[in-house]
Amino acid sequence: MNKADRICGIFWLVFAVLVSIESYRLGLGTLYHPGPGFVFFWAAIVLGIMSLVILIQAWGSKNSEESGIHYLGKLSIRKIILVLISVFLYALLMEKLGFIPITLLLFIFLLGIVERKGWFFTISTSIVVTALAYLLFETWLKSQLPKGVLEFLRF
Amino acid sequence: MDMLQSVTYGFQVALQPINLIYCFFGVLIGTLVGVLPGLGPSAAIALLLPSTFKLAPVSAIIMLGGIYYGAMYGGSTTSILVNIPGEAASVVTCLDGYQMAKKGRAGPALGIAAFGSFIAGTLAIIALTLLGPFLANIALKFGPPEYFSLMIVGLMVLTYLSSGSMIKSLMMAIVGLILGGIGMDFISGKYRFVYGLQVLADGVGLVPIVMGLFGISEVLLNLETEIKRDILTTRVKNLLPTLKDWADSIWSIIRGTIVGFFLGILPGGGAIVASFASYAIEKKVSNHPEEFGKGAIQGVAGPEAANNAAAGGSFIPLLTLGIPSNAVMAILLGALMIHGVKPGPLLIKEAPDVFWGTIVSMYIGNGMLLVLNLPLIGLWVQVLKVPYYLLYPLILLFCLIGSYSIGNNTSDVILMLIFGVVGYLMKKFRYDGAPMVLGLVLGPMLEESFRESLMISRGDFSIFIFRPISLVFLVVAILLLIIPIITQRKKLSTLEES
Repeated sequence: MNKADRICGIFWLVFAVLVSIESYRLGLGTLYHPGPGFVFFWAAIVLGIMSLVILIQAWGSKNSEESGIHYLGKLSIRKIILVLISVFLYALLMEKLGFIPITLLLFIFLLGIVERKGWFFTISTSIVVTALAYLLFETWLKSQLPKGVLEFLRF
Repeated sequence: MDMLQSVTYGFQVALQPINLIYCFFGVLIGTLVGVLPGLGPSAAIALLLPSTFKLAPVSAIIMLGGIYYGAMYGGSTTSILVNIPGEAASVVTCLDGYQMAKKGRAGPALGIAAFGSFIAGTLAIIALTLLGPFLANIALKFGPPEYFSLMIVGLMVLTYLSSGSMIKSLMMAIVGLILGGIGMDFISGKYRFVYGLQVLADGVGLVPIVMGLFGISEVLLNLETEIKRDILTTRVKNLLPTLKDWADSIWSIIRGTIVGFFLGILPGGGAIVASFASYAIEKKVSNHPEEFGKGAIQGVAGPEAANNAAAGGSFIPLLTLGIPSNAVMAILLGALMIHGVKPGPLLIKEAPDVFWGTIVSMYIGNGMLLVLNLPLIGLWVQVLKVPYYLLYPLILLFCLIGSYSIGNNTSDVILMLIFGVVGYLMKKFRYDGAPMVLGLVLGPMLEESFRESLMISRGDFSIFIFRPISLVFLVVAILLLIIPIITQRKKLSTLEES
């Protein structure tokens, strides 16, 4: 936990410093008329102090503490990164491509490539899920999902 | 008699067919969410929130509230049968529930969990009915200093009781507070922490953050390890606990109800904390503490009662003070405000249908849950068999669509995903997400009441001390901060690790 705590401690310390600078810039006001930065300035100071405590604890303690982070195997990291890429792309492309195409692509990617299931299963499941999701969200809940490239079909 | 009239009115609202249907949906989805590991009530409520926008406020809250206490029921099923908690408040049930199941006593375990939950839930709602208006009256005396001090207590309680390091929890609460400041400051009209990004001008949305912190991050975490689920295939028979089971558990249920209810009311408390506290208490008062961890029925009855009582109790600060006592209530607060209802001491007068309708529908919901949970165990076991490789894409899709439909905006989706990564990292580095959410929701209110207090007192900090209610709260907060340092108490998290 020590290495992790050290990284976190530094991260939060930097964060606290940045917030306190920005809060100061916003204006602390006076005690009887506190400015927009008042509460956040002091909050950031407290945060900074606590991150220092974490850092000191991390540097001070011996390595006897059990490691809290189990280091990921190659396979797990691959999955997580692929899933993250797919969902970020989903978010970025959903309005351009539209709900139906992007959802199909997402499921085909996740089931077929990430999970490596058979193509028949992948494609049929993707179609079924997309159809059901469309019925649920667009038709029943009226969520107004993006039409994208299928605009012309006027679903 | 006034109370009777109010409750009757509540029944009139709750028994309307539309509200009955939404109550049923809520508890059904709640049970489902409780059964499925990886999706908790916070994420589920956040996911379904956008779909409630077209409903009347009372129907929306009935459904969303149903999800919360429904999840408490459902969580026990997976804990007992599969040793995987369906959601955090059921972690403790795994300890003895699964052991009971291994000894062929899954039926009584499930049965006592369901009945205990029902009794606790009902008692909590009765207490809510009686205490609610009383507290609302007291709350009318609250001014900005009292609100400020109460919220400080809330953050302290959550910090004190959350798993892991107290310092880290406090840090997360402060981070949440800072995040809550993003956007426009209403008092001065200045933009804070926006850096010219239009998307941040309205602040960061609670719903995408919660969906990311609790939904997406959970999926990412589960992707790391193949959760081997050895579902006990022995047929679950005899769901009715024996007389001896009842005799052994009834006091645990009563104790769990009381503990759960009060921990639920306290801002910062909640079902998770209540279940741990109850387990600790049961072990302490038991004549046979060595049996805990090996299938002691009290270890199931107490915590299960506690988490349901806490779920009921946690509605009190929300409905009477407008202050959420935990992350789920924070989301419900957001939901109410989106619907144009302002929870607080005046809610009972301005929107009695929301207040009483919600409370009464909780009685009905608890009854529905008892019926849903016991006979449908077989169904829930089938649901558990859905392989995770199919489940997580569905969860992801729900999150993506849900966050998009908040404002038909991809920036909410991106925000959710960013916080999904943040939440994942937080879990790896042992930082708790709940204090951050509470800080995010309470932050703006905290800041507003603080600044208003100082304006009222012309900069004199003694306003917080000379007003008696505020003083009491602050003393409690300071005690909560000091006690752990003095006594070096054993953290509830050691229970988790055992």
